[in-house]
Amino acid sequence: METQKSQPEIQLAVSTDEPSATSTTPTAHSLSTTTPVHRSLSLSPILTRIHAGYFRITLSLSCQALLCKILLQPNNHNSGITFHVSQFLYSTILNILWSFAFCILVLFSVLYALRCFFRFNLVKKEFLHHVGVNYLFAPWISWLLLLESSPFVSPKHNFFIIFWWVFALPVLILDIKIYGQWFTKGKRILTAVANPTSQLSVIGNLVGSRAAAKMGWREVSVFLFSLGIVHYLVLFVTLYQRLSGGDRIPAMLRPVFFLFFAAPSMASLAWYSISGSFDTGSKMLFFLSLFLFTSLICRPGLFKKAMRKFSIAWWAYSYPITMLALASTRYAQEVNGGIPHAIRLILSALSVLVLFALLVFTALNTKMLLPDDDPILVPSLPILSLRTE
Amino acid sequence: MENCKQKHLAKEDSSEVLPALIKVITAHEVAGFDAVKQQDCVNDGFNSNCLHPSDSSIVGTETVGVEGENDLSNSQKMHFVSISMPPSPVGVHLHNTKMGLVGYNDEAILGYDIMGFAVTSKNDRQTKFYSQPILKGHVLNEAIASGRNPNNLDLPPKNPRFDVLEDKRFDYFKTWSGKLERQISNLRGKHRDTEQELETHRPAEIEILPADRYFDALEGPELDTLRASEEILLPKDKKWPFLLRFPISSFGICLGVSSHAIMWKALATSASTRFLHVNLDINLVLWCVSVALVAFVSFIYCLKVIFYFEAVRREYYHPVRVNFFFAPWIALLFLALGVPPSVSKKLHTSLWYILMTPVFCLELKIYGQWMSGGQQRLSKVANPSNHLSIVGNFLGALLGASMGIKEGPIFFFAVGLAHYIVLFVTLYQRLPTNEILPKEPHPVFFLFVAAPSVASLAWARIQGSFDHGARIAYFIALFLYFSLAVRVNFFRGFRFSLAWWAYTFPMTGAAIATIRYSIVVTNIVTKSLTVVLCAVATLTVASLLVITIIHAFVLDDLFPNDVAIAISQTRPKPTRKWYHGRNGSSDNKNCKKFLQCSNSDGKDIEAASVLKDVENNHSKGLRC
Repeated sequence: METQKSQPEIQLAVSTDEPSATSTTPTAHSLSTTTPVHRSLSLSPILTRIHAGYFRITLSLSCQALLCKILLQPNNHNSGITFHVSQFLYSTILNILWSFAFCILVLFSVLYALRCFFRFNLVKKEFLHHVGVNYLFAPWISWLLLLESSPFVSPKHNFFIIFWWVFALPVLILDIKIYGQWFTKGKRILTAVANPTSQLSVIGNLVGSRAAAKMGWREVSVFLFSLGIVHYLVLFVTLYQRLSGGDRIPAMLRPVFFLFFAAPSMASLAWYSISGSFDTGSKMLFFLSLFLFTSLICRPGLFKKAMRKFSIAWWAYSYPITMLALASTRYAQEVNGGIPHAIRLILSALSVLVLFALLVFTALNTKMLLPDDDPILVPSLPILSLRTE
Repeated sequence: MENCKQKHLAKEDSSEVLPALIKVITAHEVAGFDAVKQQDCVNDGFNSNCLHPSDSSIVGTETVGVEGENDLSNSQKMHFVSISMPPSPVGVHLHNTKMGLVGYNDEAILGYDIMGFAVTSKNDRQTKFYSQPILKGHVLNEAIASGRNPNNLDLPPKNPRFDVLEDKRFDYFKTWSGKLERQISNLRGKHRDTEQELETHRPAEIEILPADRYFDALEGPELDTLRASEEILLPKDKKWPFLLRFPISSFGICLGVSSHAIMWKALATSASTRFLHVNLDINLVLWCVSVALVAFVSFIYCLKVIFYFEAVRREYYHPVRVNFFFAPWIALLFLALGVPPSVSKKLHTSLWYILMTPVFCLELKIYGQWMSGGQQRLSKVANPSNHLSIVGNFLGALLGASMGIKEGPIFFFAVGLAHYIVLFVTLYQRLPTNEILPKEPHPVFFLFVAAPSVASLAWARIQGSFDHGARIAYFIALFLYFSLAVRVNFFRGFRFSLAWWAYTFPMTGAAIATIRYSIVVTNIVTKSLTVVLCAVATLTVASLLVITIIHAFVLDDLFPNDVAIAISQTRPKPTRKWYHGRNGSSDNKNCKKFLQCSNSDGKDIEAASVLKDVENNHSKGLRC
């Protein structure tokens, strides 16, 4: 193809100062790394290539830990929803899962902190990217979920409160920055940057709201909830309209469409925590997310392109299903019946299955874990002209 | 050059033959055409061409009438031309023609160029229609061979041939390109010798017309008027088969009448309207009428699905008509809601599941398309008819809640509400990318009132009382209704279509919501509002009924040719005229002249002279 022929030429011209960056696949993304990469330092490529999107893994794991905690809890007063496992088995599973999630999260947090320290310009470019910026919420969401699912810290504990503030405050700051940009700043207005990953910001607010409700802080909880819901409304309409024509995200990032039903599930859970029971509002949000889930499942062709090659974006399949499974658990708890329980069973099984599959795939494809042509690592290209893969 | 000479010879030959031929033609022309419109006249002129016996010295094989074009003028052009062609698929050869010369390497074909014009101005897809002539030759020759005097064949027997001629064009719209029909007629024992000839057809490719194509080709608030620059696959001038003219928006009648049954039921049974002393029998009568209507319209549309599946497909891809695919189910929901107490006190819950399953599946498809599906972006295709897809949700919620189902109604209400918000915002925005929204008020805008009024009823039923949520929705509906009603003067000057019936059910819905509201808040204002709204709804339906009857029986255009489904795959090149093949403009002028001559009198000599003209012109600029 002509473009491919021309690209190596360009690449050669620019890459004089980065001999190690010339990869076998001539992609435009390789142009972006302007800092020299030393092959000798093995950490450096990791720092260069890791980005906030990798926190999808931690999101999935912590969400799964939460699901596990709720589903398998043996001394739950409403035993209708739990699978009957012994206390020992329950705590073993939960501890293992939680510890695993904890370790991975710590690892990624440390790596990302190092990246902020050593490659701050790259983090800045991530912040300016219309997809990357939303994943800056992901670490905080993961930490919050992990906090909620921890087996040894109860929500009333001071420890919990302190950590909640530690994790929720960055979410608030990011909110102010990003939501403010949506309706004030010319270049980064909502119609220009809206894409399915923007729903992560909404999820961040809702998770914070739910955790606050668990702590008993009603006003803060409602505050965060209303913030999330209002922006979700705006975002929902904008995303459905698809004003820009064509997706704002490359085909490789299609799995993030699953966020469409993650946000209402989380909203349903948050409202459940606020109002105390799974009332009509929560039900409606849950049904909406169920409908969107069914709608996406019935369109496998949408994800075909993304499924050709393993990428970190595949992890975006996992946590929305887990969140939906969580909401279905609460629903089945409220409405006892064959169908709600069947839905809960199917969704929980699906979430566990997907998580396992992803773990296996990741283990098998470790070398593809840090690819050259990750779409988020395109800081040099202007926001609006992402080439689709 | 030799070919030219040959053509000249042939032409001369044929011109000698022509007088006799043309006599036959004119006789036929006169015979059945007085009572028939000009267009039919011309087309039957083709048929009379076809009656030319196959003893033409030119080729000596068959005569074929030039295949009908989509345009009247083309057909007029071919009116006087006798064309003889060997029995080879015209379509294949036409691809090879450079100028429009039908590529028979030797035969002189007088009107070939004309045909060529027509052919080359169409895209390749349509050339496949041109292999028909052979068939006609067969059939006609049979007719002639069987000894029937062509002169005595008058209109009715001609019509089958006319149908045969036309059938081929409509075949594309038939199920499996007409194979189903042939199978059925084969089963019935009719011998059709079209089988072998059909082998030459290319198999009809199932192509999906992108939404953009509909926007390019059509205009109007219901996207049913053809733009001037566009062409359609079917003849504009002839009346198409009834099934092809039966759009899905005909289900609008069912919607209008069945919602009235509900309104009269509510009037008769509500406490606040006791003072009106409405008899429940009105509901019964209306309900029975609606049942009959729904059955009738569904039956006809089922026939259309069976016989003209391609047309149904095209309607499904039409940005406005796709919403009417919800209409049958909405009509059934209305029937279930309006069932008279004397017929059934309580309906079985399984009925709800049966009715909502198709709605659910359609929704999955259409909302999914809004979210992620290619060209059908909401910002581009949003139009007030989309409300039909939303109202189904709320109606399902209402019916389910009346039946006592708990969770299902909430499900549909939630889905409907979420997508209604999106649609409402989009329509209110009147985005610049949205070309389809009518610039001036049109009855379709009344659909805005439908969703909130039904949502308020549904929410009241789900919650058990007409609470704040229901009231909010009801007041929104009321506001929209009034803001449209004060603009009623502007709803003029639009062509009536059956879809207008669908726009009456929002008025009825608002009336029913008002009745429900007046039960809770009973005072003189609400009661008078009830009376007024019900009266307006009844009046609208009555006047629509009158207009429909006028159009059906007096004006006879209740079902006009449904051009919206017959648009071509590609836009015709704007620089080409339809009668202009690849010839120079001088030929155009001659063609024009020829047309005028043929239109005006169609006398033999003149025709012959004009033909000569055309011939000469062609021989000049031609490849010989």
